[in-house]
Amino acid sequence: MKNRLKVLRAERDWSQAELAGRLDVSRQAVNAIETGKHDPSLPLAFKIARLFDMPIEDIFDDGETA
Amino acid sequence: MILAKKSVLGPGEARTRTRQRRQMIFLGVSVVIGGTIGGLTGAFDQGDGSLFSGDWDKLKLNPAIAVLVSALLVIGFIALPLRGFGQIDEFKRENNFIGFTGGCLAVLAGFPIWAVLYAGGMLPPPHAFGIWLLGFFGMFASYLIARIRA
Repeated sequence: MKNRLKVLRAERDWSQAELAGRLDVSRQAVNAIETGKHDPSLPLAFKIARLFDMPIEDIFDDGETA
Repeated sequence: MILAKKSVLGPGEARTRTRQRRQMIFLGVSVVIGGTIGGLTGAFDQGDGSLFSGDWDKLKLNPAIAVLVSALLVIGFIALPLRGFGQIDEFKRENNFIGFTGGCLAVLAGFPIWAVLYAGGMLPPPHAFGIWLLGFFGMFASYLIARIRA
């Protein structure tokens, strides 16, 4: 699943470790999500959306059209 | 100055450092327990048996040491992994599940394969420690593959 996590993080000048700490996950988890190797669970996706104050679908894109 | 490092940690980075420190302490405790188990069994071993050759009747250990080592094994193989599962995030938990699945499949498939190869005269008969090693290395290899692919 594609996502804009890396861009959103860069806009705030956060390191992966900074974002990981704010989400209470490991830095490796942030890296895996950013590179599309791990799809976050729904609770974590909501947490990410709340942190960036955006709807989930503006951050994650599953490639499906409505 | 472009390459200058940020000297003040953000709140997230500070929390990540704490998480990494906690993980290192956890690993340190695991190593100490593993080393103690190995040290005790090595220092107080009174028999001539070997786990590898399967001659169990020759294994001998002082009963008090045996109870102590078994308690440490409960901590090392049950309590610590369960506590670890509670501390790691969903990504690492997923990798751990892949590892445990690999270990389980290695035993489920490994024992009958070993048994038929023994029946065919190609291997010695299956023994408990060999089956345990199959599970352990199956788990370890699966975990490594999961980490490399992630």
